[in-house]
Amino acid sequence: MFEHMAAGFEAAFSIANLAALVFGSFVGIVVGVLPGLGPMVGMVVLLPFSFSFPPDIALSLLLGVFCGGYFGGGIPAVLLRTPGVPSSIVTSFDGYPLTRKGQAQTALSAALLGSFGGGIISVLILMFLAPALAHVAASFGPPEYFTVALFGVVLVVMAFRSQLGRGIMLLGLGFWFSTVGIDGTTLSERFSFGTLSMQNGLDIVPVCLGLFGIGQTLILVEQNIMKTDHIHLSRSTLDFSELWKALKYWKTLIRSGVIGTFVGLLPGTGSILASFLSYDAAKRLSPEKEKFGHGTPEGCIASEAGNNAVPAGAMIPLLTLGIPGDALSAVLLGVFTINGIYPGPLLLIKEPVLISTLYFSMLLINVAAFCMLMLWLRPFAMIVKVPGRLLAVVIMVISMVGIYAVNTRLFDAGVAIAMGVLGYILLRLGWPVVTLVMGVVLGEIMENRLRETLSLGDGSFLILFERPICIFLILLTLLTIVVPMIMDAKKSRQGSKTASGTNP
Amino acid sequence: MREKSSSSRVHDLLGSALGVFALVMLLLSPWQVDRSGPDPFYKGPLLFPLITLCLMLAGSVPSIIRMVRPGTTQWYLDGHGKPFRAARVLGCLILYLGGLIFAGLEIATFVFLLAALKLVGQDTLVKLSVIPLLVTVILVVIFKYFLAIWFPEPLVMQFFME
Repeated sequence: MFEHMAAGFEAAFSIANLAALVFGSFVGIVVGVLPGLGPMVGMVVLLPFSFSFPPDIALSLLLGVFCGGYFGGGIPAVLLRTPGVPSSIVTSFDGYPLTRKGQAQTALSAALLGSFGGGIISVLILMFLAPALAHVAASFGPPEYFTVALFGVVLVVMAFRSQLGRGIMLLGLGFWFSTVGIDGTTLSERFSFGTLSMQNGLDIVPVCLGLFGIGQTLILVEQNIMKTDHIHLSRSTLDFSELWKALKYWKTLIRSGVIGTFVGLLPGTGSILASFLSYDAAKRLSPEKEKFGHGTPEGCIASEAGNNAVPAGAMIPLLTLGIPGDALSAVLLGVFTINGIYPGPLLLIKEPVLISTLYFSMLLINVAAFCMLMLWLRPFAMIVKVPGRLLAVVIMVISMVGIYAVNTRLFDAGVAIAMGVLGYILLRLGWPVVTLVMGVVLGEIMENRLRETLSLGDGSFLILFERPICIFLILLTLLTIVVPMIMDAKKSRQGSKTASGTNP
Repeated sequence: MREKSSSSRVHDLLGSALGVFALVMLLLSPWQVDRSGPDPFYKGPLLFPLITLCLMLAGSVPSIIRMVRPGTTQWYLDGHGKPFRAARVLGCLILYLGGLIFAGLEIATFVFLLAALKLVGQDTLVKLSVIPLLVTVILVVIFKYFLAIWFPEPLVMQFFME
C-alpha cells in the first residue's frame, strides 16, 4: 500500500502533472471569477485537450478546473455581491457587507481560507472513506449496482422536485440519448435512422460540451450578466495578517468541510445545498449569531468550506461505484472511460497508483489555487472586467474545434450545436439540465445492469427482493421519494393555514 | 418574475414538444430498433428505450394537459427579451461548421470571430483586428501543430488545385 502511495506521490509531483494541475486551477479560477461561466464551461472546453494526455494528467487538469472554479467563485461574491458560481451566493451574505464596511481583505481571507480548508478536509475524508466504501461495494452484483444507480437517479430528480415532471422528462431524454447507436451488448442498431454517423451514438463529450459550453455561452451572448465593474482592493495580494485572524474560526472550518463532503457524496444535491447547510450550521452554533447576514468572516468561511468540499465528496461515489454525483463528475467519468478505466470497487485495487496520484493531485490543486489567489488577488479580481460577450464568442470557437478534434468527426460538432440549442433553451427556461446529463451518463450503466439483473432473475424483477442490500436500497429510494413529498405537503398546508389566519 | 416564468405556456410548449417527440419515437421504435437477435425481450435492445420513452411521455402529460387547457397562464419567456442576438450568433456557428469544410480552419475561424464579435457589439477596431487573428493563430498552433489533428482539405483549395 505504501509503495503505491509513494508512487502516486512521485507521479503527482512530476513536472507534467504539476503543470496540468496549476494550469487547470488557473483556468478554473478564471471561469469561476467570471459570473455566468463556472467550472463546467471550463471543464468542457479543456476536455478535448485532455484526451491527448495520460489519464492522471488529464484528471489533474480537469480537477484543477473543478476545484479552482469554486475558489474563484467567492471573489465576485465578496466584492460585487455577484456570485461567480451559484453556490457562492451564500458567501455574499456576509462577504459583501464586510466589503461595504471597508473590510474586503477580511472577507476574502476568510473565503479563501474556507475554500482551502474545505478542499483539504474533503480530500482527507475521500482518502479514508473511498477504500471503506469500495470494500463494501466489492460484494455488489448487477442487482445491487442497478439499485444504487436507481437511487442516484431518484435523488437527482427529487433534488429538483419543484419541477418533477420536467426532471423526469429530461432524465428520460438523457437515457434515450444513451440508447442511440449500436447497442454494445447485442450489436443491434438503434435510432440511427439509417445514417452511418448516428451508428456511433451520441457521445457524452459533444452532448456535455453542447449543453454547457455552447448553451451557456449563447446565454452570455444574449444577457449582460455582469452589471458592475467597480472593484476596490487595498493591495494586490491577500493580507496575510487577516488569514491568521480568520483561523480563529477553525471549528467552523472543519465542520463545514465535513458537511460539504457528505453533501457532495449524495448524487444531485450539489454545491448550493452544501453552502447553505454549512452556513446554517455555522449560524446556529456560533456565539455571534447576530452578526450573520451583517458581515462576519465566519459566514464566509462556512459557505466556502462547504462548497469547496463538494468536488472531493462527489469523487467518492464516482471512484467506488462508478456513479457520478453531478454533471461535473460525469465529465470526469468520461475521462476515465475514454482511457479504458472503469470506475467501481475494483478500481482502487486495479489502479492503486492512479488513485494515489489523484488524491495527492487534489491536495496540490487546493494548495495551487490558494497560493495563486493569495499572490495575484487583484489581477484575478480584475478578470470580471473582461466583456462576457467577447469571451463567449471565443469559448464557442474553441469548443467547436475541440469537439471536432476528439474524434475528427464534424458530426460531433453538429451534435454539439444541436445540444447547444437545447441547452440554451433549457438553461434560459430554468429547467434542470443536470437530470439530462445524469441520464446520458447513467443510461448505459443502468441499461446494462438492468439486463444483467433480469438475466439473473430469468426475466423477473423479484430477484431484487431476494437480496438484502437491494431491499435496503429500494427502501431508501422509496423514502427519498415519500419523505420530501410529505414534508412539502406539510409545508404547503402550514402556509395555507398561515395565509387564512392573516386574511380573516 | 420567476413564478410567472415557471408557469408560462412556453414551458408547456416545450414539455408538450418533448412528449410528442417521445410518442413518435415510441411508435417508430419497432422499426428503429433492430430486434433480429435471438435474445429474449428482457435481454434485448428494445426494453430500455421503451422504458425511457414511456418515462418521457409520463413526465410530459401535465404539460400536454396544460397546453390543451391553458387556464390563466400566458406566453412568457423570462423577461430577458427575445433571443435574436443568440440566434444570429448560432447561425454564424452553423455556417462556421460549413466554413471548416469549405474554407478550412484558418479562414473559417477568422471570419467567424470577426462576424460574431461584430454581432455581439465588440466591434472596436482593436478588438476586431487583434482578437480574431490571435485566437486563430493560437488554435492553429495548438490543434494543427501541437496536437497534430487532421482537418479536411478545404474545398476551395481543391478547386484551385484542379
